[in-house]
Amino acid sequence: MLLHDLLFRLRSLMRRSAAEDELDNELRFHLERQTDKYVKSGTSEAEAVRRARLEFGGLDQVKDECREARGVSFVESLVQDLHYAARTLLHSPAFTACAVLTLALGIGANTAIFSVVNRVLLNPLPYRNSQELLAARKNDSLPNLEDIQRQTKSFASSGGINIEPMDFTGKGEPVRVHGAYVDAGLFVTLGIQPMLGRWISADEDVKGGPRNAVVSYSFWRDFMGADPNVLGKAIRLSDNSYAVIGVMPRDFTLPKELADVFVSLWVAYPDAAAERDVHFMHTYWRLKPGVPLAQAQAEIAQADHRLAEAFPDTEKERGTLLIPLHEWLVGDVRSALLILFGAVGLVLLIACANFAMLLMARAVARQRELMIRASLGARNSRLIRQRLTESTLLALVGGAVGLVAAKAGTTLLLALRPAELHRFDAIPMDPRVFMFVFAISLLTGLLFGLLPAWSASRGDIAEALRENARSTATGVSRSPLRSFLVTGELALALILLAGAGLLIKGFLRLRSVDPGFNPANIITMYLQLPGTRYPQIPLQTNFRRELLARINSFPGVEAAMITDLPLAGNYVGHRVVIDGQPTPAVGTEPEVQTLSVMGNYFGVMQIPIRSGRDFRAMDREQQPRVAIVNEAFVRQLFPGQNPIGTRIDWARSDEPHEWMTIIGVVGDVKHSGLNQPVDPAVYAPFSQNDEAWRKFMTLVIRTRVPVAGLVEDVKKQVWSLDRQIPVSGIQSMDDLLAVSVAQERFNMLLLGSFAALAVALAGVGIYGMVAYRVNQRTHEIGVYIALGAQHRHVLRLVMKDGVKLGLLGIVLGLAGAIALTRVMVSLLFEVNPTDPATLIGVALLLAAVAMLACYIPARRALSIDPMTALRRE
Amino acid sequence: MPSRSIDLPQGTLDLLILRTLSLEPLHGWAVSERIQQISSDVLHVQQGSLYPALHRLERRGWVKARWGTSENNRRAKFYQLTKAGRRQLVVEQDAWQKLTAAVSQVLETA
Repeated sequence: MLLHDLLFRLRSLMRRSAAEDELDNELRFHLERQTDKYVKSGTSEAEAVRRARLEFGGLDQVKDECREARGVSFVESLVQDLHYAARTLLHSPAFTACAVLTLALGIGANTAIFSVVNRVLLNPLPYRNSQELLAARKNDSLPNLEDIQRQTKSFASSGGINIEPMDFTGKGEPVRVHGAYVDAGLFVTLGIQPMLGRWISADEDVKGGPRNAVVSYSFWRDFMGADPNVLGKAIRLSDNSYAVIGVMPRDFTLPKELADVFVSLWVAYPDAAAERDVHFMHTYWRLKPGVPLAQAQAEIAQADHRLAEAFPDTEKERGTLLIPLHEWLVGDVRSALLILFGAVGLVLLIACANFAMLLMARAVARQRELMIRASLGARNSRLIRQRLTESTLLALVGGAVGLVAAKAGTTLLLALRPAELHRFDAIPMDPRVFMFVFAISLLTGLLFGLLPAWSASRGDIAEALRENARSTATGVSRSPLRSFLVTGELALALILLAGAGLLIKGFLRLRSVDPGFNPANIITMYLQLPGTRYPQIPLQTNFRRELLARINSFPGVEAAMITDLPLAGNYVGHRVVIDGQPTPAVGTEPEVQTLSVMGNYFGVMQIPIRSGRDFRAMDREQQPRVAIVNEAFVRQLFPGQNPIGTRIDWARSDEPHEWMTIIGVVGDVKHSGLNQPVDPAVYAPFSQNDEAWRKFMTLVIRTRVPVAGLVEDVKKQVWSLDRQIPVSGIQSMDDLLAVSVAQERFNMLLLGSFAALAVALAGVGIYGMVAYRVNQRTHEIGVYIALGAQHRHVLRLVMKDGVKLGLLGIVLGLAGAIALTRVMVSLLFEVNPTDPATLIGVALLLAAVAMLACYIPARRALSIDPMTALRRE
Repeated sequence: MPSRSIDLPQGTLDLLILRTLSLEPLHGWAVSERIQQISSDVLHVQQGSLYPALHRLERRGWVKARWGTSENNRRAKFYQLTKAGRRQLVVEQDAWQKLTAAVSQVLETA
């Protein structure tokens, strides 16, 4: 039945002209027969024709109904409507441009954010059956990973990875690359095949196995000339020769890490691989198909328990927590993205409100045409449908323009993106994005086209007609829909403005946090000494001392060294014991950041010495060991006491202790981030370092004046000492500070621009309403002025409604903001989501904008010439 | 228009058309004549509404149309009941009879 119906409609549509002819013939035949009948009964020919036509009714109307009955009319009239809409829109280019631009802004901003949400939150990860992949929240060691894998049944495979810098030498300047120390299980777990060659096999992933390396696509392209015959060739990594056995595909990325080369940890560092108690591997797990996460988690808890029993000294505090990989990756950015998505949705709503008001104004302007069509017998539903066609056409064009804007917008977003989004180097427009644009455009066009069309059919048009006829001086138009839209968009704009204001305030608070040092005029560089050529501490110390001496001989600069820079995100944590205090139970010793320095580090960084003294040149090897602690260390470990003179050592180091005496206290430095608390820290001289693996260092160089070529000069000095040491991480401390707040800046800039867009749109909305009313009431105002009304009376008359609605919107918006801004709590730094100063501030700002938007068109009312206005009657 | 004729109740036109066509294929004018004749001129079919109804029935597959020669030797469009149309006629007749029976029962007892 349905099929028949469809085929029938289609056939009718295909043979439209034939069907029209048939319809003509059929009806003409009827009329002729009827006429014949009357003629035969004795009526005159003319009278018979007249009677037959009269009885039949409107021929065109019957034809229309027949078409409708055949089911062709819908498509046919749609084509007609589209044609008509396109023609009339082209006739009023100003209106069309306004409407398209308004929607393009709203839809474009939404599409840009949606494509980020789509890429980051909705798209599956680029691994085989990625829903089976899990990540452990805490790092672990390879022996533990292997034991757990053996003792559990839930996992198809597991793998571990640790990223360390490696020196790639042999081709021009030595380069520091990201080395991935992995086990053979990693790529089985991720389920990725190399593009060329093969992955490291399980039998090679053992102590003493062959030195094989798999390289990334970019490494292969940049350093190996994209050589298709690369397999088997040797590369030098940190002074060891590795054979390239595979090249990863171009679009491959690790879940969180960046890596250029992959080598087996068991081959590269057999000693580190065997250490059970050093947990430095990120671990990934693949569930067997159909195994629920809870079961796997229960199994891993048992395995943890067994490990804790077997190795009570080091593994007592286990607690491996597995989370789905996707959640682990997007957890940090999800809430920010969703809030931005919600905010940009509000922007679209405001744009839609303006769109609806534009349509309403247009309907009034076109009422004469509509009236004529209605009196010619066009049915109301047909008129509404035609207007819907027009608004939908506008919305679709707006959506198409918005798509172009969104493409540009995502490029901008990528440029601004914070570190958390760094693995997304492209935000593609996939079919889902196109569907999204199409859907919201269609919805916008239908819904916000229907509102004014519906309100018009309910009599607003009639009211507008009266108004336009200028027959009644009291005919004040108070379209309830228009008032609702203006109030609503101001309320929404206020909510967005409040959100943006809070973020800005939080960001300013964050930027005003004292990092504990002076970042101005400091250049930093990272160096790592290869273990093969600098295996012993004295060699390392000599290199450092010599390099510092050479750099410090440059005029106008002062250089020092530290293991890990503040705000860079890394530090080495050690547990400590304090001389004279009872040794705490194993695993409960306080953990502190440990930082090695050389040169006048505190002086260069301008970190204040609070008490005691700074390191001196005599605090070197063979001399009594010394340490400087920060204020957080004193607060937590020596509350209310003077720690100077007390001795400390790393927990569990071999007896007898080689105590370090605390000689000074320095100011706290924000090491993990401006919004993070300061952890206790211990600084010790590089020259008294007792850990040969501390081969890395960061140069901090303060310049009194900008020094051109400084970086090149430093590189020259490094390479004059050792030609094979890469110099990397070249950045100013100011940049590092900026990077550390990039996520907050990203949120603030985005929400800030949405709020600006919202305020502009809402301002245009209220402006449009007042301008429209001034225009409609020219005559009335003319009379008013003729009767001697003063400027302020006229202004009050025309601004009254706009200001009233604006204030109502702001009050409603304040209520909405108080209700909604609490979802932002996680994004705010030391700002209450209902911070009264911010809320009042943004309310005043928006009120000012609204007043201005009312005032500009109202001023036009003042210049109305009463005579001209009256003559228009 | 004779004053004693009444307009058709909503929805009954389809039934009358189907019933009229169940005897023989007819063109549109003949359908309206036949309905008026049989009902002794009591039922007045608005001629304009006949054709949309015929086209609707055709779309539903209850009647099919073909062009033929009329009694006065002119080309005319003849409508003919299909099998589905016959089944529909039975259904609608039943429904109508049930409705009228129920209505008269109410009228008599109330």
